[in-house]
Parts: sequence; C-alpha cells; structure tokens
Amino acid sequence: MSHLDEGTLHALLDGELDLAEVSEIQKHLGSCVACGSRLQEVKQVLAEADRLVGAMEVPAGAPRARPEPPRSQPSPPPFQPAHEPDAWNEPPVLLVPDPIDAGATRRRWIRGLAVAAALAGVVAGGRLIGSAFKPGHPVLSERDLTSAQPAVPPAVVSPEERKAESTLATRDKQTRLQNRLAAPAPAPKAAPPRQEPDPDSATQLADSDAFAAAADDSITADSLALAGQAAADSSTQVAAAAADSSSVDGNTAPEASESDALATRRAAAAALAELDRERVRQRAAAATAALPPPARPEVQPEAEPAPRPPTLEQRAQIYLRIGLDEAVKQLGGPVHVIEGMTPQFIGLTRTQLIPGTGPARPVVRVVYLDARGRLILLDQQRVATGQTPSLPAGSLRWTIGDVMLYLRGEPGPDVLRNLQARVR
Amino acid sequence: MTADLTQLFEQHYGSLVRMLYRRTGDRDRAEDLAQETFARAVAAPPNNPRPWLFAVALNLVREDGRRNVRQGRRLELLRTETVPSPGPEEEFDRNERSAGVRAALATLSERDREALLLKAEGFNYGEIAATLGLSKGAVGTTLARARRRLVEAYRTEGRGKNVAS
Repeated sequence: MSHLDEGTLHALLDGELDLAEVSEIQKHLGSCVACGSRLQEVKQVLAEADRLVGAMEVPAGAPRARPEPPRSQPSPPPFQPAHEPDAWNEPPVLLVPDPIDAGATRRRWIRGLAVAAALAGVVAGGRLIGSAFKPGHPVLSERDLTSAQPAVPPAVVSPEERKAESTLATRDKQTRLQNRLAAPAPAPKAAPPRQEPDPDSATQLADSDAFAAAADDSITADSLALAGQAAADSSTQVAAAAADSSSVDGNTAPEASESDALATRRAAAAALAELDRERVRQRAAAATAALPPPARPEVQPEAEPAPRPPTLEQRAQIYLRIGLDEAVKQLGGPVHVIEGMTPQFIGLTRTQLIPGTGPARPVVRVVYLDARGRLILLDQQRVATGQTPSLPAGSLRWTIGDVMLYLRGEPGPDVLRNLQARVR
Repeated sequence: MTADLTQLFEQHYGSLVRMLYRRTGDRDRAEDLAQETFARAVAAPPNNPRPWLFAVALNLVREDGRRNVRQGRRLELLRTETVPSPGPEEEFDRNERSAGVRAALATLSERDREALLLKAEGFNYGEIAATLGLSKGAVGTTLARARRRLVEAYRTEGRGKNVAS
C-alpha cells in the first residue's frame, strides 16, 4: 500500500471511512512510520482548526424576532409597564386607611363637644373663607414652590391664627372626613402626567398626613377652622410634595427608568447569550457522543497522557521512530524482519552493536511484541566493509551480508533462538 | 407543512446563523440571511433540508457579497461588533481572537472556507458534498487543505498565542 494522503487521514479522523478502509489503513500505519507521524500532525492541525473556527462565537445581543411571527415587534420593553403598576399601586394603600381609623376614634371622643361648638363652627367657617385670600402661607413659603401651583385654592390658616382660634369650636365630622379624603385627591392633578411616584413623594405624602394627624392630636377638641386648616395644610403639603417630586423626578426619574431599562435589557441579553452558549455546549456534547467508533482507535493513543508508565518507544529505548524507507537508507540495504511477525514500529536507538561505530551507521531497531505482550528487539547495524567481527556460533548476534544483527528481548533465549531462525 | 417548517426552524436556525456569522462576521446580516433562507424554504419546501438550507444561505452570502462590491459598500468581514458586551475584557479578547480567525479564514478559497464552516456545524462528508456540489471523495482533501491553510494563516498573523493560551 502506498503512503496515505492527507485527505484520507482527515477522513479517518473525521470518522468518514468504513471499517474495511480503516483496518487497511491501520495495517499500513503499523508498518509505515512516516504515515504514523503524519497522522499525528494531521491530528494537531485538525484540532487547532476546530478550535479556531469554534472561537468565532456569535456575539451576544438582544435577540431579534424570528421569521414567524415576522420580526415587526420592536425589541424594547415589556419591562417598564410591568414595573410601573406595582409602584403606582402602593401609595394609596399607605395613604388612605390608616389615618381615617385613627381620626374616627378621635372624632367619637370629640362628638360630645360638638353641640357646644356648633355656633362657633359657623364663625370659624367664615374665617376660613376669609383666610383664603391671605397671601404668604408660612408652610408654603418655606418650600420652594416657584414652579408649582397649589392644586387647591390657598384656603389656609397660619399657625398664629390657628393658636388664636384654638378655643373657638369643635368640628363637624362629615366636613372633616370630606376634607381629609379630599386631601390626597389634588396630588395627581398637580403632578405631571407621566410622573412616577417614588419613595420620596410617598414619604412626603405620608408626612403630610401625619402632620394633619399631629395637628388633630394637639388640638383634640378644636375648632372646625382648625380641622379645615389641617385638611388644607394637608392638601397644600400634598400639592407641595407633588410639586417637589415633579421638580425632582422631572429631572431624574426618566434617566433612572432609562438606565433601569438598559440594565434589564443587558441582563436579558446576557442571559440569552448564556443560553446560546449552553446550546452550543449541548450540541458539542451531542456531536462528541455521536462520533463514529472507527475514529476512536486512532484517537486513543494520543489521548493516553504521559503519566501512564513507559510507552512502547520508551520501553524499546527508541529515540526516533523512522519509516521503512529511512531504515533501508540507514542500513544501505533491506531491513531484516522476523518472518510471520508484524513489527510495532521501527526506530533508531543509541545502543551500539559494534563498539566504536560512528553516527554514520546508526542502529536500526525493529520492535515486536509477541502474543504475550513481551518485547522483542531486532537490532541491525551496517558493518564497515572488511570489519565483519567473528562471532561464536549459536549467539544471538550474527551477521547477514554486511549487516550485523542482534536479537534480544523479554522472552527466554530458547524462544529468541527460535525466532532467530525466522529472521530474513 | 407549517409544523414541519417550525421543526426545521427550531433544528437549524441557530446553526445557520452561527455559520453565517462566521462566514460574514456580521451578526445582523447573518440573521437577515438566515431569515431570507427560511423564507425561501417556505416557498419551496426542500426534500433534504439541511444541505438545502445551507446551500441557499451560502448562495445568498455570495450574492450579497457581489452586490456589496458592485455598490461600493465596504465588506463587513472584519467589522467590529456594535452589540453591547457582557464583560469588556472577556469580550475584547474574544473579539480579538475572532477577528484573527476571520482574517485567516478570509485567506482561504471560497470552497475551502465553506467546507470548513459546514464541518464545524456537524455536517458529514456526504452532506458537505451535497451542499457544495462536490464529490464525496473530494471532501477529505478539501477539508485537509482548508484546515491546514487556516492554521498556517492564523499562525502567520502571529495570533496563535491567543488561542493556544
């Protein structure tokens, strides 16, 4: 059989050859060292080429829609709508129920004084209306509300007035309740349409309510005016809070939501990329598992790592494996072999058969394993003309032509002598 | 037929996009071409789907390339990706290596390159032969040459260390 071409070696490693071809090639590789070493080279090239192509991974990124359904849907966010309603849902829950119950308890206690305060309530109502036209409410002036208009008319009583009138009257339950309930209502009006409630504004809303409750506590049986004022305070504070949050959120909220969305998209992209990589890994694993068996006998020798005790080359003390052609060249004539045995390989060894021989005539060693796995070495060395050494008959060293041979190995001398008779 | 097509899509879309990306170096273009390929599969359902799909896709790449040249548009073989990266350094290394391999791949002949990319997608010699219109016997030689030249070109570019490490 002639030498194996590169394409055949690739086909062999790709598992594309049938069993008959593989066994024929294996037979050839057993005797042709040149093809054996080429096979090793091809293995390396193949592995490196696979690695290089495999290095070109499809970059991660937002996946595009597939042909069905057509890719008309824009990639952006199902994320934002999912995020916002939750945020919107919470503040009302916090705002409404709690103060109402507390107020109701207090109101029951207050009711006893309500009759006595009925007349005063009318007077206080009048004052409340009058105070609506007073400018410069201190609470408002403390806040920077340059851009915000209170959602309700400034029906506000200053703290000074509140103190002065604290003895005036108690209040009407329904009016108070209506005022309290009305308090949060203006907030959304004052807020910009796409304002996103954040913890700050929620806190301020709660604060304004707490302020109203605190005012209630301080006056207990106070006048309707105070109640109205507290409610008005509450509403102005809510308006202020809304204005604050609108002025603050107007700048930061959109950026925050954009960066959130970007982060979410990146996370999604990373997750998808990981999914892709996982698919590739699975595919690779499946492809590896599906490798046809003929390739394996060829791959196994390479897969055996160095830690495994001495290789056959090491055991045979070969420093270089050579092909038959090279061996013939080195010996200046045919290589002698043991008839009926298939050599494992041919190589060069440093052992000298003839003392004092120079490197021009190296020892060619043909390596065999017998049926029991014992190593048998047939060394051969070209002898310089006229220097044929005299050797005792029956020795395992002998000459054929101008080549000196030496048969040795792990089997006993009797076995070797039998083999010696078969050397051709 | 729709079910078949869906199955076909599930089985081959990812592989097709990967092959096209390796061929073109442009993820968007790869996806466009893959979708165009499947659109054609809808119009004329193939008998032997995998080689058919990849053959059509590679034809589209060639047509696209010729059109690009005609229109004076720049070839995108070495274009930098603009997709946001998961990790800057890792991504940089990967892009670097990827660009090196793509440059090496660009030195191969069309047929060698395509055979190599199809093999990387798990095609056997019969399928490669069917896709590229080769004889099966020629595939081993084609692949041998393609692999050798790819490795040589990559080493020549001095980027071998990236992959070896």
